[in-house]
Amino acid sequence: MANSVQPDKNSIRAHLEAAGVSRRDFLRLCSVLLATAPAGLALTKQASAAALATAIGESKRPSVIWLHFQDCTGCTETLLRTSAPDAAHLILDVISLDYHETLMAASGAQAEAALRKAMEDNAGKYVLVVEGSIPTRHDGVYMELGGKPAVQVVKDVSSKAAAVIAMGSCASWGGVPSSDPNPTGAVGVDTVISGKPIVNLPGCPPNPYNLLAVVLEYVAMNRLPALDELNRPKFAYERVIHENCPRRAHFDAGRFASAFGDEGHRKGWCLYKLGCKGPVTHAACSTRHFNEIPGVWPIGIGAPCLGCTEKNVVWRMATVETVPIHLATPPDTYPPINSGAGQIKTGAAALVGAIAGAVGGAAWVASQRFRSSNEAAVERVIADRKQPGISSNERSEE
Amino acid sequence: MSEPLNDNRWERAVPVYGFPVITRFFLALAVLIAMAFVLSGYRELAGLGPVSGMNDAFGWGIWKTFNVMVLTALGSGAFAVGISAWVFRRKHMFSLMRMALLTSFLAYACGLLLLGIDAGRPWNFYWIVFPWKWNMHSPLAEVAICMSIYAMLPLAIENVPPVLERLWYFDSRLRPTVEKIEKRLHSVFPWVISLAYLLPGMHQSSLGALMLLAGERVHPLWQTPWLPFLYLGAAMFMSFGCVAGTTMLCCLVWKRAMDMDVLTEAAEITSWLIFGWQALRIVDILYRGAIGTAFRFDRFAGVFWIETLLVVAGGILLYQSVRSRDPQPMFLGYILSSLAGMIYRFSPTTLAFRPNPEALYFPATIEIVVSLGFISLGVAGFLVAVKRLAILPAPLNAWYDMANYFRFRRPYIRWTGYFQGGYFGSDAHKAEAKSD
Amino acid sequence: MAITRRELFTSMVKAGLPAAVVVTVGAETSEEHVPVPNAAVGLLYDATVCIGCKACVAACAEANDTPPDTRGDELHQAPTDLNDLTRNIIKLYKPTDGSPASFAKRQCMHCLDPACAAGCPFQALHKDPETGIVSWTADKCIGCRYCTITCPYHVPRFQWQGFNPRVTKCELCKHRLERGLKPGCTSVCPTGAVIFGARTVLLLEAKRRIKENPGRYYQNRVYGENDNGGTQALYLSRVPFEKLGLPELGVESVPARTLRWQRRLYQYFALPALLYVGLVQVIRKSLKGHEHEAIENEKRTGLRAQL
Repeated sequence: MANSVQPDKNSIRAHLEAAGVSRRDFLRLCSVLLATAPAGLALTKQASAAALATAIGESKRPSVIWLHFQDCTGCTETLLRTSAPDAAHLILDVISLDYHETLMAASGAQAEAALRKAMEDNAGKYVLVVEGSIPTRHDGVYMELGGKPAVQVVKDVSSKAAAVIAMGSCASWGGVPSSDPNPTGAVGVDTVISGKPIVNLPGCPPNPYNLLAVVLEYVAMNRLPALDELNRPKFAYERVIHENCPRRAHFDAGRFASAFGDEGHRKGWCLYKLGCKGPVTHAACSTRHFNEIPGVWPIGIGAPCLGCTEKNVVWRMATVETVPIHLATPPDTYPPINSGAGQIKTGAAALVGAIAGAVGGAAWVASQRFRSSNEAAVERVIADRKQPGISSNERSEE
Repeated sequence: MSEPLNDNRWERAVPVYGFPVITRFFLALAVLIAMAFVLSGYRELAGLGPVSGMNDAFGWGIWKTFNVMVLTALGSGAFAVGISAWVFRRKHMFSLMRMALLTSFLAYACGLLLLGIDAGRPWNFYWIVFPWKWNMHSPLAEVAICMSIYAMLPLAIENVPPVLERLWYFDSRLRPTVEKIEKRLHSVFPWVISLAYLLPGMHQSSLGALMLLAGERVHPLWQTPWLPFLYLGAAMFMSFGCVAGTTMLCCLVWKRAMDMDVLTEAAEITSWLIFGWQALRIVDILYRGAIGTAFRFDRFAGVFWIETLLVVAGGILLYQSVRSRDPQPMFLGYILSSLAGMIYRFSPTTLAFRPNPEALYFPATIEIVVSLGFISLGVAGFLVAVKRLAILPAPLNAWYDMANYFRFRRPYIRWTGYFQGGYFGSDAHKAEAKSD
Repeated sequence: MAITRRELFTSMVKAGLPAAVVVTVGAETSEEHVPVPNAAVGLLYDATVCIGCKACVAACAEANDTPPDTRGDELHQAPTDLNDLTRNIIKLYKPTDGSPASFAKRQCMHCLDPACAAGCPFQALHKDPETGIVSWTADKCIGCRYCTITCPYHVPRFQWQGFNPRVTKCELCKHRLERGLKPGCTSVCPTGAVIFGARTVLLLEAKRRIKENPGRYYQNRVYGENDNGGTQALYLSRVPFEKLGLPELGVESVPARTLRWQRRLYQYFALPALLYVGLVQVIRKSLKGHEHEAIENEKRTGLRAQL
């Protein structure tokens, strides 16, 4: 329904209109957001994309400052790597990216000034997104920005932030730079700063809609989503890949690819035996694939999951190492109402038959001998009564 | 005509002499017993699953249902023969009393031992000592407690006299002690014997009550509110079969004369018990309207007809053998009727038990060997007892024969005792002299 | 012979047999009346709502700290029936003739008059008088497996491996109830097919559903209200209850129906005691006669009597 009331100039909706983004494109973004977090997010509890669009549309554009540290810029790329070119712009139009070293035009002193201005203008209101790990060894000398060690920079910038989002595994727990022997002492953001609400979005890279959902939830609802004990939002990191994997039916039925390129691999069977870390990796990739195209994700293209969100998995376990499955969820088959039990083993049956035969035979033979035996015994008794005092055993021929 | 046949009437229980205890058969039994003990040890460590065919649907295997339910029924001789001798005063049955008592004791002892092995958590049996912890509404509690008390008290006490007798004969120094004990036993005799008839009556019927709780899962040809009574009745005619049949077999093997008076009386009692029991069973089935199921073509009908035909054939053979005084049909009659009784008592727990249409039970090899081993224990115990104690009835001259045998074969034993008398001592003789 | 029987009967009559008969036969034993515990809790399982996701099977194992049963293929938690590791299972009734299928959640029914507790020799299976939960105590169990035979729903399962076997069955997560939580299965059910609550409340809810959805439920009744004397696990189903493995047992509980005479005859032990007294009288007399004969025999043969 067209809204006749003029939207607030600073609202997202106004900005999108000014930027020439069609409402249809915005609605499409909202429906992707709905798919991102069907549950667990107050923002997406709205019943429809239109309702979500209204909720977001009325919010103010959030100011986002994006810092890079020991990163590969992959997490920035994931924001841009969308299948529809406008969507990237859309994401960047919904948020107000006030400082981003890769995407901004300025550099050098101008960049520093932009950062300072963004911090002052939106003090206490901006969302700080951190990409890349922070080196801490030797007083953080391994990375300096404008002459200052990274540790110092992140502490400075986060001091005025409303919330900190650690984007990617590097910022969440150290990522690639922290793998053995970790020469720079790379750690995640939450090791360095405290006192601010931190949301970890591990992944290498994570799905961009995770970030977008968290940011918009914060902006529209003024709160962060429910987090688990590692500060990861539950709507995206509560379940392991294995629980929702599209190839789960193959796992349940015992159809596995044993080698890359073999028949099972080509048929799309479960990659567990190739070392898929799905059962121990908390992430939402099995339901939300990348680039808005279904099937575009590692397992979908036949590459076993590496467990890129988990500190104890990726860079710690060999890629071909199979993981034990602790969360043993039930498979697709159902037991019948009456299940069988017990079996007849041939050895036991033969034994029973032999015993029955032996006892029966002995009884029959015994019964045949009674008459004659009793007669003989009676004769002996009569003989005894005639000749007492001599043992019958002596008397017999034996 | 009856004169020469009565010459071999059984007047005394005489130990079996002239046959060694260690024979090839006995050694074979010993091997089975050793195997059973070893396998029982394995069962204690590994649990019940690996050693048996028991499963979730059939929680009871042949140890409980055969060795306990069936074999203690065969071993109810002390109960059935005892009642006919002491309550109904059938004089001839006294000759069989010692055989009955011995077979009963061995059957119960081995059955209870195996019950201990079959229980999954036997260390908790100590609760039996606290009566307030018993669940007296449970038929199984009743069975376990009654059986244990019965085997350990009245049955054991009743089996003591032959042992005391042997001690009396073999060592004159023990005689004063033996006579004191015998006097004590004599005074409590009525109380002990009454207990010996009350307790088996209770637990043999409770063995039947056990399967009452299984309700519809026992096939209607067996499941009836009269089940406890029918189990008791089956125990009675089965045990007559066991006692009389074993006695006949012993006479055959050890070349003794059989007293057809005693045996025909036993056969007569047994045949009437069988007919009465079978009539009650048929009437009950007709009354409940379950007779239709007997004419289907399934294994339940098959088992039912086998039971019925065997028991009726056995009864008829026994009845005829009373008239003809022929041991052959008598022995067959005992075998057939005991077999039928065994199948009857076994069926509600296994053959006629349908917990689940898909489940079945068949004993595993280890299970069968352990069961056999414990039966062998009883048989071996019987063989030893019957050759060392005066259990097997015989004509009077067999006693003198035995005494002579020991005098010539084993002079170092104080054989002279065998000719002495005086159980009742001088007091009774004085009393008799007075009343005369 | 006739004299003997008359003796027996007269001694019993003297001892007051009629009184005993009146006592045992006339009076209804107290156990035949089945009480409903004050704080009876239970489950209501609506088979028409269940989607067969089996989250309750996994949650039950987790809530009870039991390792999942992967004995089938060493990989999946896929028990085919209740067993020593599985207290709760989802089974599927799928008829071959195309009539509606249904899932069946099977666990302990927590009967008001449980046959398992009635048969347990040393009360290892015990019904809590307040909550009505039937639970198993390791200290009293002798592993006789009678409970696996008496339960009409075939619920308790014995552990067949190992030297310290236990009996496993649902105990309504009473360790969680103590902490104010709900049982594992009801906490994870995504559709609310199984819910936990006070038995009275669940019955009302079940009846409400029946009333608001006439024709949806089999015979418009809730299984467990009166079946088997009443159970605390209640069932609503589209298909006949028997197809789900819940036998039609009538309104009398199994122990009350089958052990009626057993309980009456042994009440107060009156009848056995009387029988005992009667037997003692008879045997005393027999013993006298027997002694007589034994003395005669001793005199005749000169040998020691054998009694």
